[in-house]
Amino acid sequence: MLEIKNLHASVDGKEILRGINLTVNAGEVHAIMGPNGAGKSTLSNVLAGRDGYEITQGTVTYKGEKLLELKAEERAQRGVFLAFQYPVEIPGVSNIYLLKAALNAVRKYQGLDDLDAIDFLTLVRSKLELVKMDEEFLHRGVNEGFSGGEKKRNEILQMALLEPSLAILDETDSGLDIDAMKTVSDGVNALRSSDRSIVMITHYQRLLDYIVPDFVHVLSNGQIVKSGDKELAKELEAKGYSWIHGAPEGQTA
Amino acid sequence: MKQLTELATPFASIAENKQLVGADLVWLNDLRLQALNEFDQNGLPAKKQEDWKYTSLWALTQQEFSHNAETSKLSTSQCEQLALLKECYRVVIVDGVFSELHSQIEGLQKGLTINSLSSGLDHVQSHLGQQIDIEKSGFNALNTLLMNDGVVITVDKNIKVSKSIEILVVNTGKTDNLATHLRHVIVLDEKSEATVIEHYVALTEATSFTNVVTEVVLAENAELNHYKLQQESLNTTHIATLAAKQAAGSQWKTNSISLGAKLARNDVHTQLLGEQAHVVMDGLYLPINEQHVDFHTRIDHVVPNTTSDELFKGVIDDKAHGVFNGKVIVHKDAQKTDSNQQNHNLLLSRSCEIDSKPELEIYADDVKCAHGSTVGQMNEDHLFFLRSRGLDEVSARSLLTYAFAVEVLERIPAKDIREALSAVIEERLPQGGK
Ligand SMILES: Nc1ncnc2c1ncn2[C@@H]1O[C@H](COP(=O)(O)OP(=O)(O)O)[C@@H](O)[C@H]1O
Ligand SMILES: [Mg+2]
Repeated sequence: MLEIKNLHASVDGKEILRGINLTVNAGEVHAIMGPNGAGKSTLSNVLAGRDGYEITQGTVTYKGEKLLELKAEERAQRGVFLAFQYPVEIPGVSNIYLLKAALNAVRKYQGLDDLDAIDFLTLVRSKLELVKMDEEFLHRGVNEGFSGGEKKRNEILQMALLEPSLAILDETDSGLDIDAMKTVSDGVNALRSSDRSIVMITHYQRLLDYIVPDFVHVLSNGQIVKSGDKELAKELEAKGYSWIHGAPEGQTA
Repeated sequence: MKQLTELATPFASIAENKQLVGADLVWLNDLRLQALNEFDQNGLPAKKQEDWKYTSLWALTQQEFSHNAETSKLSTSQCEQLALLKECYRVVIVDGVFSELHSQIEGLQKGLTINSLSSGLDHVQSHLGQQIDIEKSGFNALNTLLMNDGVVITVDKNIKVSKSIEILVVNTGKTDNLATHLRHVIVLDEKSEATVIEHYVALTEATSFTNVVTEVVLAENAELNHYKLQQESLNTTHIATLAAKQAAGSQWKTNSISLGAKLARNDVHTQLLGEQAHVVMDGLYLPINEQHVDFHTRIDHVVPNTTSDELFKGVIDDKAHGVFNGKVIVHKDAQKTDSNQQNHNLLLSRSCEIDSKPELEIYADDVKCAHGSTVGQMNEDHLFFLRSRGLDEVSARSLLTYAFAVEVLERIPAKDIREALSAVIEERLPQGGK
């Protein structure tokens, strides 16, 4: 599904990713943990195609294609989805319009026609139920006046509708109370399947009780310094990150 | 054909010419002589005048204009297509002349009159010219002198007009360099309600000059929703004054959308003369290419307890230039005034320009006056978000531009007008916005 080799990325001449290696196979769930400023969001942004990063070395292959050569929208159309750490509010663009435009963009790439209004609404309603959101949210501006938890749920709603092949969740758990965390996790778990991969970025071990990962990696100072299974996350929870700081690069999954 | 600057002298004779609307009316003749006098003395505004600082009339004064339209042909189906609203009372002006053929003003409801300027003059003798200033604006003087058509609407006490009224002003392009001086007068008596939209369109890219004055008179507790959509040719000079006087408890909601014209200058002014009078003064301008659009607004809070809410938004692209100058004047007796003025601009290119200037003059001490003015570019985070959801860059930019502009449209209460105007704005954007 996804193969990252020796990825180096800089912003304004400052190197932030310093040689990332990571392989994610179809059906796997990977958790990436690490202290603030480690480069977790940078990695997500680079994978999703945000402008402003200079890739100085390395390659990323997604479903056999050179991912870094695709525009952000081309990646999305091919099934790459990023749930943002800080979802933006866009007054004036209604949620339902966004969902429809996004779904149709993906369907168009797949050679499918636009869904008609009724089929679309039926589909959206079933996804709303999954993330326990009221239909009223469809008619508000994207994230406009949403609480932190509602914004995160809205990200999962978009993901559930678009059914991506590779979902990257950037700290989707931060700022959520237990109930919201459960709802979001249910949404993610419902999406787990043998042809879909999930990369979960999180700061805390807590989320991993709900979405159990196949692999856990520690990202520190722009490199993956340790990889393991879910026991690694527990160890991190107990000991913090300091014991791995400066550690040699661990094996990648 | 005469250059505008030379017009003053010939007007003495034109003013006596019976062909001008209402030339036989003494009161109107007096007004015209006064206007002629002012125009002779002051001419057109000069750039050194503070309120014309950003807008040059040089190109206009270099052009020659014709004041007589050739007989023009506009099919009824063409007219139907140009109209913004399907279900409405419609008054149509073709190349500066009221067209009975195209208008749909038969069977008006009781208490409502809609007339061309020539047949409506009697209804508005006491109001015509009372809302505008001919001393400070040469264009208003010129309009007073040369007004030859327009629409007069009156609504009687307690009457709620059930259908919207569309004033459709069409330039067919049949006459090159046509100059038209239109005067509309809208008078609402106590507790009456109406919705009026002025709509300016052109069939060709012909050069022309439109000089329009709209006067609005609202008696106590009257409510007028007023919209203006200007879609004239990109070679037109459109100069407009829209001026109201509002009595106690009256509400005026006005929204001017400026899309067309090479140069568009709009002066929008109201005087809140009775307590609890309220105005919502909105506007939207989306200049492209080398268009120049200038809005000068002024709200006078004259008495205590009046409110105003003003929102102007601009989307400026290419080498276009936008100007917003918004005056709010709180007079010394106008305690408890509550006013809010916002002007926000989105710049889409590096070569465009905006001059945004809020001006508050407050002579009372117990008032609430807020204002804000911003100039910004497209939000890169928003753009990336949309693209990360599969929207291509052009669609994403269009959508965000639309999202920026739509706030102004959302303040329009009438659904049919809101939707029709939204569709016009969408069409203006690359790839049709949303
Ligand atoms: N656009 C940027 N410009 C400059 N520095 C940046 C930018 N984005 C991220 N950084 C820096 O890169 C480092 C990694 O940031 P980030 O990827 O957000 O970390 P994390 O998500 O792991 O907390 C931080 O030191 C941050 O300040
Ligand atoms: Mg982060």
